[in-house]
Amino acid sequence: MTRSEEGEVRFEKVRKAFGTAVAVRELDLAIRGGEFVSLLGPSGCGKTTTLRMLAGLEFPTSGTISIGGRVVNEVAPGARDVAMVFQSYALYPHMTVAENIAYPLKKRGVARLEREARVRQVAETLQLSALLPRKPRQLSGGQQQRVALGRALVRDPRVFLLDEPLSNLDAKLRAHMRSELIELHRRVGRTFVYVTHDQLEAMTMSDRIAVMHEGVLQQFGTPGEVYNQPANLFVAAFIGAPAMNLLRGRAAEGGFTHPTVRLGFAGAAPGAGRDLVLGLRPEDVTLGTGPFAARVRLVEPTGHEQIAQLDIEGGDTLTIRADAEAPLTAGETLRWGVRAPRLHLFDATTGNRLEAAVMMPQAAAASG
Amino acid sequence: MRKLAGRLAFNLFAWTIVLVTAFPLVWMVITSVKPQFELFRIPPTFWPEQITFEHYARLLWDTPFLLYMRNSLVLSTATTLLVVAVATLGAHSLVRFRYRGRERLAQLVLFTYLLPSVVLILPLYLMMVWLGVANSLLSLVIAYTTFALPYALWLLRSFMQGIPDDLENAALVDGATRMGAFFDVILPQALPGIISTSLFTFILSWNEYLYALVLVNTDEARPLTTGVMNMLISAFNIEWSLLMAASVMMSIPLIIIFAFLQKFLTRGFGAGGVKG
Repeated sequence: MTRSEEGEVRFEKVRKAFGTAVAVRELDLAIRGGEFVSLLGPSGCGKTTTLRMLAGLEFPTSGTISIGGRVVNEVAPGARDVAMVFQSYALYPHMTVAENIAYPLKKRGVARLEREARVRQVAETLQLSALLPRKPRQLSGGQQQRVALGRALVRDPRVFLLDEPLSNLDAKLRAHMRSELIELHRRVGRTFVYVTHDQLEAMTMSDRIAVMHEGVLQQFGTPGEVYNQPANLFVAAFIGAPAMNLLRGRAAEGGFTHPTVRLGFAGAAPGAGRDLVLGLRPEDVTLGTGPFAARVRLVEPTGHEQIAQLDIEGGDTLTIRADAEAPLTAGETLRWGVRAPRLHLFDATTGNRLEAAVMMPQAAAASG
Repeated sequence: MRKLAGRLAFNLFAWTIVLVTAFPLVWMVITSVKPQFELFRIPPTFWPEQITFEHYARLLWDTPFLLYMRNSLVLSTATTLLVVAVATLGAHSLVRFRYRGRERLAQLVLFTYLLPSVVLILPLYLMMVWLGVANSLLSLVIAYTTFALPYALWLLRSFMQGIPDDLENAALVDGATRMGAFFDVILPQALPGIISTSLFTFILSWNEYLYALVLVNTDEARPLTTGVMNMLISAFNIEWSLLMAASVMMSIPLIIIFAFLQKFLTRGFGAGGVKG
């Protein structure tokens, strides 16, 4: 078996219920060997349960989970050849850093001399050498985090499982660890399954992202795909900061109609009268010229750009991003347009993305 | 000035309590080294005019005191080991595993505490006879376990609730078996709890009187509590100096154990390693 085949992870129709509460429903997910996959979603979406099932700490109610082609439903956590980094780090408080890192090797009967050599090597990689004789409580949060990583790394497992490993670190350290993790993944070349609620972490580190919500996989794709072609309203609203603007309207007269925004469909059009939602990312709004009007409500300069809230007719608010020099003043009215190829259209009833229609803005807006 | 007066009052209060508590103990030690003729003198002397260890010598050489001492040590140690072993595993099960009736089971365990021990003695005695272990140290070990175990179980349960699940999970993923994870990770974390539970159980068994009185009536199996009473208090006479000497010697093992285990009790309750 090649290294890549060893690291393949497959969920087939996996369901997990705790009593009457369903945590994960009908999950189908195929992760390639060596891939960095994030499970992303708000708390309670089933991502941690999914990871714990892969680790063997929870058992699926139905369905099969396989690692490297072997069904592991009935396999004990220690026999799955996976390593896990816990959100709480879960370092053994009564053991030194060296003992913590050596523990997985000890449990697998690796001889003492080799154990010590491997621990030294891992400690060097993670810059922990000076800390080896210390106890976990004598370490800072960032150091504890690295020890937890070291305990996972020391064994070269098929799959690394990481459960929100950065959430207890401060912002600066988190950014630093993100790049270290990317580096680490590239170096060990193993499958990483990474649970997070932070889209920035998922977007920056992952090869592919599995967006989950209420126990259901919403979309599984590259960061580019989930950002540029969100499969449904949940993914559209969840990915991106500031969030995508969602305008409710309906299909009429061969286009999308809204009190302010009117767009024509090119190509196959959704049936007339259908309720639709238009998705518009803040950076896809063009300012200064365009068919639509708006009044600036609030401007938040961030230094390198400005985030502004625009009031448009129909009671909607539009969040937009503009560069730092753009002339935006609260209370003023301005004209705006859209980057047509980057619009998203969703069915308001099902929430699903409608792929067919390419839209052109129509100048004949009501409030022009 | 006011602060000083406050501190003075507080100290006065504290020392009064210490004095009241400690006086009987001091009196016990003093009485045990006074010669017989000085005991009932009026007015009583505080410091003995003459110090003697004859009572200790008589206890050790002329009475079955050492036999009782051995019985008590065996009894308390065996009870402690049994109770702690069962309670540790039981508490872990109550905290860690989800099964039907878990909470009910934990509450039911405390049910024995609702009954006065006098009520339980007769059924216990009959059970011992039925088991064929009546009138032996083993019968007392079993009897003591029935009342020490529930409390030990609850004490350890609350200790184990403070140990994060993730520690055990990490050990499992790292390749430990359930038992391995228990011994490698849970046990060291629960150690302060295990030590205080042991201490509690040992003291309880060491001082127990009622069960020992009813369940055992041979010197071969009598612990110190009933043995000493039986030996020194008769209808006509109480041998005060011997009784005091016996009391001093009975206290010594507990004092030693306390002195030895105190540092474990106060050490490192705050577990590091786990944040958030």
